[in-house]
Amino acid sequence: MNPTVSTRRIAWPALIAVVALAAIAPLLVSDFFLSAILTKALWLGIAAASLIFLAAYGGMVSLAQVGIYGIAGMAYANLVLADGGAAAAVNPYLALVAALLIATLVGLGFGWIAARSEGIYFLMITLAFSVLVYYFFSQVTGLSGFGGINSVDLPGIVGSPEQDPLPRYLVTLVVAVLVFLGLGVLSRTAFGLGMQGVRDEPARMRALGFDVTLHRTLAFGIAAFVAGIAGVLSVFYNTRITPGSINLAQTIDVLIVAVIGGLYRLEGAWLGALTYALIDNYSREWVPEVGNVLGPARFNTLIGVLFLIIVLASPGGLIGIAEQLSRKVKTPRRAPAPMPAPQTVD
Amino acid sequence: MFRRSHVALVAALAAGAVAGCGSESGSGSASGDGAKKAATDGGGGEPIKIGFLSDCEGAFGSFFEPTASGANLALIKYAGAKPAGEKPTDGVTGATIAGKPVEIVGYGCADDTADKAIEETRRLMEQEDADILIGPLSGDEGIAVANYAKEHPDKTFVNGIAGAQDSTLKVGAPNFFRFHPDGAQWSAGLGDYAYNKLGWKKAAIIGDDYSFPYTSLAGFVAEFCAIGGQIPKRVWAPLGEEDYSSYISQIPKDVDGLYVGIGGSGLISFIKQYEEQRGRVDTERMLGNVFWDDPLVLKEVGKSLVGGVTSAMTAADSDSPDVAAYIQGLKDNYGDEIAGAGPSVFTYGYYTGMTALIKGLEAAGGDVADQSKLQAELAKVTLSGEEAPWGDVKLDSNRQAISNVFLKKIVEDTTGDGVPDVQTFARVNDVDQTFNGAFSADTPAPDRENPKCEAGEAPPWVGQSEDVSFGE
Amino acid sequence: MQQFVTVTLNGLTLAALYFVVASGFTLIFGLMRVVNMAHGSLYLLGGYIALEIQTRWFTSDSGLGLSLSGKSDAEYSVFAWLIPLVLATLIIGVIGVVLQQVFLRWNQGQDLRQALITIALSVILADQMLAYFGGISKDIAAPSAWPTSITLPGEVRFGFFRGVVVLSAAVLIGLGLYLIIKRTRFGKIVRAGVDDREMVSALGINVNRVFIGMFFLGALLAGIGGVLGGTMISLAPGQDTAFLLNSLIVVIIGGMGSLGGAAIGALALGLVDAYADVYLVFGDLDLTNYSIIVTFALLVGVLAFRPLGLYGRPA
Repeated sequence: MNPTVSTRRIAWPALIAVVALAAIAPLLVSDFFLSAILTKALWLGIAAASLIFLAAYGGMVSLAQVGIYGIAGMAYANLVLADGGAAAAVNPYLALVAALLIATLVGLGFGWIAARSEGIYFLMITLAFSVLVYYFFSQVTGLSGFGGINSVDLPGIVGSPEQDPLPRYLVTLVVAVLVFLGLGVLSRTAFGLGMQGVRDEPARMRALGFDVTLHRTLAFGIAAFVAGIAGVLSVFYNTRITPGSINLAQTIDVLIVAVIGGLYRLEGAWLGALTYALIDNYSREWVPEVGNVLGPARFNTLIGVLFLIIVLASPGGLIGIAEQLSRKVKTPRRAPAPMPAPQTVD
Repeated sequence: MFRRSHVALVAALAAGAVAGCGSESGSGSASGDGAKKAATDGGGGEPIKIGFLSDCEGAFGSFFEPTASGANLALIKYAGAKPAGEKPTDGVTGATIAGKPVEIVGYGCADDTADKAIEETRRLMEQEDADILIGPLSGDEGIAVANYAKEHPDKTFVNGIAGAQDSTLKVGAPNFFRFHPDGAQWSAGLGDYAYNKLGWKKAAIIGDDYSFPYTSLAGFVAEFCAIGGQIPKRVWAPLGEEDYSSYISQIPKDVDGLYVGIGGSGLISFIKQYEEQRGRVDTERMLGNVFWDDPLVLKEVGKSLVGGVTSAMTAADSDSPDVAAYIQGLKDNYGDEIAGAGPSVFTYGYYTGMTALIKGLEAAGGDVADQSKLQAELAKVTLSGEEAPWGDVKLDSNRQAISNVFLKKIVEDTTGDGVPDVQTFARVNDVDQTFNGAFSADTPAPDRENPKCEAGEAPPWVGQSEDVSFGE
Repeated sequence: MQQFVTVTLNGLTLAALYFVVASGFTLIFGLMRVVNMAHGSLYLLGGYIALEIQTRWFTSDSGLGLSLSGKSDAEYSVFAWLIPLVLATLIIGVIGVVLQQVFLRWNQGQDLRQALITIALSVILADQMLAYFGGISKDIAAPSAWPTSITLPGEVRFGFFRGVVVLSAAVLIGLGLYLIIKRTRFGKIVRAGVDDREMVSALGINVNRVFIGMFFLGALLAGIGGVLGGTMISLAPGQDTAFLLNSLIVVIIGGMGSLGGAAIGALALGLVDAYADVYLVFGDLDLTNYSIIVTFALLVGVLAFRPLGLYGRPA
């Protein structure tokens, strides 16, 4: 694990520049780009950030994040007025709070079970959670069923995105920035430092009187809260949710986003999500047709190959590559900086 | 050092922003290319852009080319188009409506899930900038697209062949039109036939667990129960299931009959596994929904289905010259294999949908800038003769077709091609979506338990089906 | 009673198929601590390769091939099934070895990275299979001479291929694996390797060759599973992840790396699945539609009490 992860401070000038650019982006780009690329990258980034938070600070690579954001999204969609589901017609703001609460509680429950296993077992168990959530909503027709929930009522602050996507974009942007700052601050609190201690030296922490399982469970709960935010925003984005929006493919996609961006840095989540959204939408236009192997319809091959290259060559993701490059530029004569230590879990 | 990476992030975002601007103008020129590809001769002005949405994956993936052939045939017959290649999805060239060139911006491929359908719809409507969508194919997709339509009142949507009741009865999008009967309407007359002709008192039903089979079986349940029948067991298998064995073992044996609402490739698996478990498909105690006499199904498992009764809006054995002309049109343009799938409701639904759309566009002068005119015209469109060779179509106030339905029996091969054939024996006229009020916007949507099996007022066509016999 | 026997047989045959696939998965993990997330892709690819061989060599096709299951009405001899079976499984075995040598050999020990690599491979393989074989479900034809079904005492009918071929194949494979592990030199090395890998290599045994052998065997089992499953049920996009998940559940229940655990896990999964599909009825409350949730409840239940599965041992 890359030990430098934790000590970084937020680079305010760069953050302000990015946010400023993002804030004026609506003036520069089309509505389609604003929705399908930027808004999607922002909420997908929040989902990936919850994964990266657990991986970077807690050493837990979780595939349950999509399951949890599915719970939040489904809870929200069931609580408000919608076509399908329970359609309880609750006030959207109230539903939003309830949805986040439910997702966090379920996340704590999942975390309690999963926190006792580590590494690859943790990966598999959390994968099982996500699939369980998918099947639950597929089969329980009272809450969703295969057809899902359509025309979900949105809170007033989001406006009617099909007419004007700008308010939704701005809301998503603000929330994403808050999530980034919040997780960054949290990682430097006593709790965050404890997480990193548990990650690196669980036995020693235990000897120090630390309740390791509890600490990991709480971390999982926090990540669940963040994933829940992504889930509600994804419903704002799609105005609908179905089991297909939270299936195994989506689980893998969020993992891909996190890995492409960089599994050890929070900002990697949004870089990965932006890359993903751009490739998703524009690969059809520039990818040449090579027999059956490559072509406009072969988005998954493209993203899979990119994912593979990143995993093989740079476990730090695109952020890691950028760092290596900048190191090389700074110290051209010296031996190249060591790669981030490959992660092992024993 | 970390600042550098933030700079890189800024650069990436900026590059993204530039790419966005670039690609916006890029997509403008791309659509120009598309117009070249499709149609530039034969008319000036902005082309009318139509998106086509069907399934090329999943249980109904085999119907991708047949559905495209139906839509294309309408353009060929009524808009002067020519096929651009051997395969229907190669597209058409030279189509014009009301003097304007018509472009199919893409043949969208979904997989019978609502998510993929919406993803493809978004791509066709927002990225490829289509004015009108024709599609989709399957139940849940239809509901999702109807909801999407409601959020985009400035565009127009003509259903392909998705049969879920809700998409017209409940969603109520004023710009969503369906020119074929829904799944429940297709079952009209079967309940009457089962109760009064076959003497069934108790029937079980089995179907895939999503909105189209719900609708399809709802049509049977509403009619069968209204006149006194009972449904002791409903079995549902998850959509995409290929292993039906455990569902087959749930079918009770102490009932008079079974109504089967399984579709697409699932039906093939079901038939094979039913034979394994029960020795043979006891078709004399079975009714099937629209899939049973689909040409593709007959080709593969038809021999096991001989004796089974089914119903839908097409009848392969029809001797009407309009039907012959329709089949011949498919044959002339796409050959025997596609023409063989002509009597499939899948081909036919896209054909009538596109035909109606062309008529509506003609009446609206090809105006797609303000589509309220087109939508008003479409609501008034009626189809007859070669436009709807299996029976006249008109729309109700929910923009849902009212048309006729045929009852058919699957019989041993009579034409000598080794594939069992269809013998039509009755026609139910003027079937409407509400089943005489059994279904309305206020009744619960068809699902695993609904409609409840209750005796009540029978639909008007009970006892009124008209005996027909083609080719004798 | 009749129904109970049928349902039990359903569960057993599913368990047999799950066992064949999961045994390869668990053996690879047991020796090498590699979680091969591309195992399901090897399963599906094995089935597709067999189907391709069968259609190319043993049938003639023409036109657009409009068809719902991709099968024509042709007659198939026993060889038209056996030859594709043998070839496809060997090819998949070799593919498994290539995969291990190219992508996994040099990062042995980094189990999370290896899992990510195989996830990437499975994403690519799934998309390429979709491009080449299409999105429509297809099935491999069983020999025409074999009966469709058999009748057991008590008038119970059951599919021949499912009930006889798949079940006996699973029993034979289980026995074969047991003998290989218990009686051969390879098996001894494997058992020793499971307990202490460093010691095995310190003894001068070429660990790489053992790893190659194990990956060949594990992938081969996925391939056999693919052909059996493709004949018994069908081949379609999504079956790869379905069988990866099945294998995961089987080995999580049974314990990673344990062959006996895989057998128990497969039986538990297959039978719980089959019974829950039919018997989850309490008076008027019919919960059969929620059966799959029971499977996961089983999984979570096992994990809550035995985090390493029934037969699992700490790594």
